[in-house]
Amino acid sequence: MDLLQVIAFGVLLGGVYALLASGVTLIFGVLDVVNVAQGSFLVFSALFTWQIWSLLGLEPLLLVPVMGLLMFVIGWAIYRGLLVRVAPQGPGMTVLLMFGVAIAMEGVLNIVFGNEFKSVTPPYFTSSFKIGEIVIPYPQMISGVLAVVVLGGIYVYLRKSWAGRALRASAQNKDGAALVGISATKASSLAFGIGAMTAGVGGVLLAIMYPVYPATQYDWIARLLGIIVLGGMGSIPGAIIASMLLGISESIASAYVPQWAPVFFYGAILVILLFRPHGLLGEKTREDVAA
Amino acid sequence: MIAALKRPSGFLPVILIGLLILYPILASDTRYEESVLIICMLYAIMASGWNLISGLAGYVSLGHSVYLYMGMYTGAILGKAWEIDAMWLAPLGAVTAGLLALVVGLIVLRTRSHSFVIITIAVLLLGMLVAANWRGLTGGSDGFIVKQPSWAKDNPTTPYYYIFLGILLLTVALSAFIMRSRLGAGLVAIRNDEGKAASIGINTTLYKVTAYTLSAVPFGFAGAVYGQFLGFVTPSLVVAILMSVFLVLAALVGGRGTLWGPVIGGFLVWLLNEVGTIAAGEFRARLLIMGVVLILVVMFMPMGLLPTIRNFVKKRRESKSAVNFIDQKSIAAVSDVDISKIIARTRQQSEGSSHILEVKGIVKRFGGVTAVNDVDMAIERGSITGLIGPNGSGKTTLFNCMTGTFRPDEGVVLLDGENITRDRVWTRAHDGLGRTFQITRLFKSMTVLDNLVAPLETTSVRQMVAGRYSGDEVERAREVLDFMGLAQFEKQDAAALSFGQQKLVELAQVLMLRPGIILLDEPASGINPTLIEKLATVIRRLNDAGTTVLIVEHNIPLVLSLCDTVHVLSGGEVLTSGTPDQIRNDPQVIEAYLGPDHMVGVGNE
Amino acid sequence: MSESVLTMANIEAGYGGGLVLQGVDLTVDKGTITCIVGPNGAGKSTVFRVISGLLKPKGGTVTFGGRDIGGLSPSEVLKSGIAQVPQNRALFPEMSVHENVLMGGYAIRRDRALLKERLAMVAEMVPLVKERAKEHAGNLSGGQRRMVEIGRALMLDPAVVLMDEPSLGLDPKSVATVASVIRDMAAEGRTVLMIEQNVRLGMNLATHGVVMEQGKVRLIGDAKDIADNPEVASMYLGKTGHNA
Repeated sequence: MDLLQVIAFGVLLGGVYALLASGVTLIFGVLDVVNVAQGSFLVFSALFTWQIWSLLGLEPLLLVPVMGLLMFVIGWAIYRGLLVRVAPQGPGMTVLLMFGVAIAMEGVLNIVFGNEFKSVTPPYFTSSFKIGEIVIPYPQMISGVLAVVVLGGIYVYLRKSWAGRALRASAQNKDGAALVGISATKASSLAFGIGAMTAGVGGVLLAIMYPVYPATQYDWIARLLGIIVLGGMGSIPGAIIASMLLGISESIASAYVPQWAPVFFYGAILVILLFRPHGLLGEKTREDVAA
Repeated sequence: MIAALKRPSGFLPVILIGLLILYPILASDTRYEESVLIICMLYAIMASGWNLISGLAGYVSLGHSVYLYMGMYTGAILGKAWEIDAMWLAPLGAVTAGLLALVVGLIVLRTRSHSFVIITIAVLLLGMLVAANWRGLTGGSDGFIVKQPSWAKDNPTTPYYYIFLGILLLTVALSAFIMRSRLGAGLVAIRNDEGKAASIGINTTLYKVTAYTLSAVPFGFAGAVYGQFLGFVTPSLVVAILMSVFLVLAALVGGRGTLWGPVIGGFLVWLLNEVGTIAAGEFRARLLIMGVVLILVVMFMPMGLLPTIRNFVKKRRESKSAVNFIDQKSIAAVSDVDISKIIARTRQQSEGSSHILEVKGIVKRFGGVTAVNDVDMAIERGSITGLIGPNGSGKTTLFNCMTGTFRPDEGVVLLDGENITRDRVWTRAHDGLGRTFQITRLFKSMTVLDNLVAPLETTSVRQMVAGRYSGDEVERAREVLDFMGLAQFEKQDAAALSFGQQKLVELAQVLMLRPGIILLDEPASGINPTLIEKLATVIRRLNDAGTTVLIVEHNIPLVLSLCDTVHVLSGGEVLTSGTPDQIRNDPQVIEAYLGPDHMVGVGNE
Repeated sequence: MSESVLTMANIEAGYGGGLVLQGVDLTVDKGTITCIVGPNGAGKSTVFRVISGLLKPKGGTVTFGGRDIGGLSPSEVLKSGIAQVPQNRALFPEMSVHENVLMGGYAIRRDRALLKERLAMVAEMVPLVKERAKEHAGNLSGGQRRMVEIGRALMLDPAVVLMDEPSLGLDPKSVATVASVIRDMAAEGRTVLMIEQNVRLGMNLATHGVVMEQGKVRLIGDAKDIADNPEVASMYLGKTGHNA
């Protein structure tokens, strides 16, 4: 396969990863919680998309806002109902809580959808188009572009809206945020909602790209966690760079050495962490300047 | 009997183990039950192993099932090559799993909290991917058939049942041994406060890596047998992740950090899982049930079953017996015991330099701020030296460069004439540099006595495996407590003490290191005048016995009355040094504290 | 006759079991710069925590503009007109200076016109926020950061500004700049209540002084009198009389 072609694939895939990983990163930045349930949110959304599509035959892309909103509400509720109480017990317990959520959700999906692959196959599923020499299937193209569009939307929202500024402020300096009157609970539930929303959108895109079944959540947890560790916990630009690296390296590796593709990625994470324990763009934990 | 009933932790395990031993003998046609109990025991073994790193030291690993697979593959691959039953390779499985854990531990233990959890997951994924892809060795994703021995044809469960019971008992014995050893005490100290543990001489890196390595050993051992019991080994990522989550859930349900909690949890979780599977009739529902159980446990019983019950019993007992009030006044007295023996350094000090501690050209920057700027300072052996300065003058930063909390950007730190600038915190403690903290950092879950026996004067394997109370530490700890007038607090939890009492206990803890020099970080802040006076007496007595003391303090009257020499820092530089009288009358010092009489350039009036 | 804006009457407060403040009486007059000094542990910072609503007093009342604010939450206190410039770094390091200042108006975010007006006002009082508008707050020097913090606090047009050790860690030139802004604020009719370790610096800047010791107000009066009081020196250096 042509290298350029492979890289184009990788970039589109990386865009989807970047969208999902940004959600995890945002949650981590504001709440200090590692959301290992992101993969199950994603699969939940993908399977719901499949259900609605197979029942109504609706154009799946129309479901992007619906699933985004639904996951936002679910995420918001999980924060208010569960996380807010466990958060004071520290990172170990919040990770376990989110694992509980992930497994319970997978259980529900297993019961509702069964343990088989489901594919959403709209008419454009198998068609592709050409840019010069590069052949790009429509589903990949649409997913990659839409992921970047949504990510851009989140970026603008974080930059320009007051709620977005409040989120960034909480992530950067919690005391400072309290000082200007930002409520920590509100910022946290909003962040968790947006994080889950990226999975809602991502789920629709996932459904038109790949077959999905409940246990695929583990592949996604693995990728997303790898990305945010590699990018530096809490750094959105870092997560985007790491997503592109993963997308492209996966794409290259699967073109040339298909079996070993993911091994390189996880191996690379370990090696990088050996030399940079805080990730690529991670900030070194700031030691308090002693007064 | 009645006493035993009152202490269920003592006699329950014996009864339960007895029941487990007798069960296959007494009951008939138990093949199904035995196979369920085998998995229960497997989870109990894994949860107990996991407990060594995650329960004792507090480093939560979500990838430990990779070590079970290591044992399974070791047994299967070598068993096939050498044509013996895989289960005989269990000890080798323990070794390979331990070695893998050692290598992985050296990498992953560089990170903490969030990153550590995530990396343990990544290690599991990486391990399973390698297993799935290294076809030549592992048979790839199709896996391996493990040959069954001939006896398994007649009875495929009972022998395994007893083997797993044996492994379980060995694992519990290993846990019990570690929990009673110095290693175990050190791990609990690390969980409580890693930085503090290092400051009292615990080689935290060594301890964590050791615990991580040992935690993998039961996995590897059980894995070789489990592979044979299953009859095949296949690398399934989903199974491996779920196994990791289940074993963590088991330890969590039973009670992290306890000896029997993970065992009980292993049985509970798997039995519940079995009930769920039967009730729902399929695999699907059990995921939901386990997920919900995990959520409920985290939310409502985060300590686990055993500690929750213990606390409940303890509370009921306490509510019955009268509360023991502590006489606040009696601790004001310092006893007259001869302390030179308690605190004298056992090792020879190089008496070559008259300065016990010396810093030269220390520079420390934070971002753009230079907190300490080219400071030289020498602490006379046998002196009480004060270090004062207004807020932000850099004295705490300088202090932290001396103790090893910070590494200076430039300059050297000399202890007994030796360059210790790059030495780790625990090495400095071994070399006789002890420190206290402004906000006390005792191990809150431990008693006062346990806090005092925690410090280590050296790092050695012999010491790690030694019993927590072996040697003369307990005796010395009691002598130190006696000297400080704290004897009555011996059995109290450190958290139950007042702040002032904690400060004294922390000083007592540091004395257990037999330090040549003690660095006191604002010892008088936050404590009442009676205790300040007592503290001053203790410091003088220690100094008379030959200990050098460096005090960073805001209470200037205390410093001026106590010290032989006082150094004043201002704006990250040494403003002046001298005797208390010189300092008291130094116009520069007055200016630094009270400000200049006429401020040049302030305002535009 | 001066008009009091903030009053504490017999305030008792502390953490856990102990009382750090043991009956503090304090009156701050409108338009003054009042400086609280005292040795470490005297309770200066605790006074601030009580006023700003971070710590509920166990006894006594806090009155601001005739209204009891003793039980209000920090954000309610903020909206009522008391802003704070804390001792530690409080800026958002990865936001621009402009955004940092803008965040100070979070409570009035719905009123665009007012926001614009306030931004202009702050830019006039603290020119730095305009000069360095685009720069990341994390790249500023300590003195510049302090100025941005002040600018941010002014966004709500507070009647009272609490300043915790405004000179801490700053070089003399920055101290002078901060001091001049503090004077400007007072000249505009705002009341500044500040904590300062450096007694003479504080008293030179302030119009009124308060000396605290062991959870109580020990002396209160004109800044000049406080600065010349021999007892103040003894509190710091543990000697009786001013024999320097």
